[in-house]
Amino acid sequence: MTARRDLGERLCGLLGASARVEELDGEVTVDVPLEAWLAALVAARDVLGLTFFDWLSATDELDLGFGVVCHLVDPRTADRLLVRTAVPRDRPELPSATGVYRGADWHERETTDLFGVVFAGHPRPGPLVLPQGFAGHPLRKEFVLEARTARPWPGSVEPGRTTGRPLPRPLGVPPEAGP
Amino acid sequence: MAGTDDVTYTGGDSYAGARETTEGTVYTVTGQDWDSVVQGVAASDEERVVVNMGPQHPSTHGVLRLILELDGETVTETRVGVGYLHTGIEKNLEYRSWTQGVTFVTRMDYLSPFFNETAYCLAVEKLLGITEQVPERATVIRVMLMELNRISSHLVALATGGMELGALTAMIFGFRERELVLDVFELVTGLRMNHAYVRPGGVAQDLPPGAVDKIAETVTQLRRNFKDTADLLEGNGIFMARTEGIGYLDLAGCMALGITGPVLRSTGLPWDLRKTQPYCGYETYEFDVVTQTTCDSYGRFLIRLREMGESLKIVEQCLDRLQPGPVMVEDKKIAWPAQLAIGSDGMGNSLDHIRHIMGESMEALIHHFKLVTEGFHVPAGQVYQAVESPRGELGVHVVSDGGTRPYRVHFRDPSFTNLQATAAMCEGGQVADVIAAVASIDPVMGGVDR
Repeated sequence: MTARRDLGERLCGLLGASARVEELDGEVTVDVPLEAWLAALVAARDVLGLTFFDWLSATDELDLGFGVVCHLVDPRTADRLLVRTAVPRDRPELPSATGVYRGADWHERETTDLFGVVFAGHPRPGPLVLPQGFAGHPLRKEFVLEARTARPWPGSVEPGRTTGRPLPRPLGVPPEAGP
Repeated sequence: MAGTDDVTYTGGDSYAGARETTEGTVYTVTGQDWDSVVQGVAASDEERVVVNMGPQHPSTHGVLRLILELDGETVTETRVGVGYLHTGIEKNLEYRSWTQGVTFVTRMDYLSPFFNETAYCLAVEKLLGITEQVPERATVIRVMLMELNRISSHLVALATGGMELGALTAMIFGFRERELVLDVFELVTGLRMNHAYVRPGGVAQDLPPGAVDKIAETVTQLRRNFKDTADLLEGNGIFMARTEGIGYLDLAGCMALGITGPVLRSTGLPWDLRKTQPYCGYETYEFDVVTQTTCDSYGRFLIRLREMGESLKIVEQCLDRLQPGPVMVEDKKIAWPAQLAIGSDGMGNSLDHIRHIMGESMEALIHHFKLVTEGFHVPAGQVYQAVESPRGELGVHVVSDGGTRPYRVHFRDPSFTNLQATAAMCEGGQVADVIAAVASIDPVMGGVDR
């Protein structure tokens, strides 16, 4: 058993049966239920010695909600661990980790901007990387990147002249998107 | 500034002036009108002054906005505004093939493009399970370019940092030396920045003829020239007066905020991912992790200076290790098919390769077509891969759903995380020290906002 795997198992042991460890391609991830999110972080910091907060972000898991993941490191041994929780799509809210790790501040604000996941109890919420009043959350899957289909390509030799053919769509932009 | 009613601006610039708002009088300072502002503030009974620095202030390293609350010359509160350079690269990656992603990530932290590319490619290779198959020559070239890139990035940090403190010669020296490194980049990749040279599976093309000699020559010259910068600034009374004890952040502060790179090493902790979590075979190279124990701007300056010397040592070891061989994985279903060459009109497909796919091999044409239009599939899963960039831990968290495009790519950029320390470094200090403190973090806004 690798040291990293062992770390994951120990965190699971501290949290009880509700948490589970996943190991894939050498990456150890501990999935914790939403209500144990802060408890998991406190246990990781105080019991396991993962005192270095590395980063926090999210993944849009569609029907499964949002996977909020954070990366913690033990600065003495360089062991590291991903801790993940699932936040439901219809009520994307979880408690802020800023009380456990101060460094989570900007990471959480960025995640709120890009995914619309709310971190309750954040000391200074508000837009960080997006302009005030930006509509939508760009990294959600329903936010389709259609800039290329909606706007003419600004680099054509004769600006404003069209070829009569539809513009090629970027990979993954559905046909119904755009004008 | 609140509470002033009777201040009128009488300067000559029609864009500058004072206007009343609900928060108090707002002065627009455009230079050479300081007297009128001072008079206005003196007449006010409000002690607190809020200064908006940036986003287009020359001393804020790109479009960084600092909102400083001052009590006299002392900074009582610092707020940082970022996001002016948000380019949506992480979103764009989800709409491109895995190989096209390199073209995007190289543009994030534009002073360390090879680190962005390598971190991303290492993560993709891990997901593909081909880490072991990447040819030795490609890995050595990656390490060599990353270390040269560390030098060019540190040189910008020293140059702009020096300029912000008024040391214009430091800027001239820094950019002069950086030019030598960029010449090497141009020779190898065809471009001075935004190279997209490191690709999943290897690198885009082999070193051109004469590159090894050129790099060896550059290393010798850089080592000689670094002495100029060291002689100029190390122990220089004026420079030390501006940087010693400035921007103080101790180990506990670094740990709580997730600070890495020279800022963390200036607290004495020898934390360098090249040693603690080696990648690209760094464990086989001989070099030292430079630390200081002063926790201040001057310590970070010294670390950058010494690290450039260590990087030169690694580049020399790379030159010794370069053996002839392929620079891309064998697997034709992954290896980007283009064999690039630099022609009179820039980098493009080599004529030999076009002859091969169009006239000689139907299979090569099919692979070329499939890879270029659709890309390769990457098995579902997630990995995190971090490299030690000039600014600290540059990590990439890649999630794949098994398709030809990334499902999610998150970059943990050191500039983003390190900038969080601005308030801790600046509050309680003087206004002028804010510049020295931010310069010692060396943030690159392209990386902060992504």
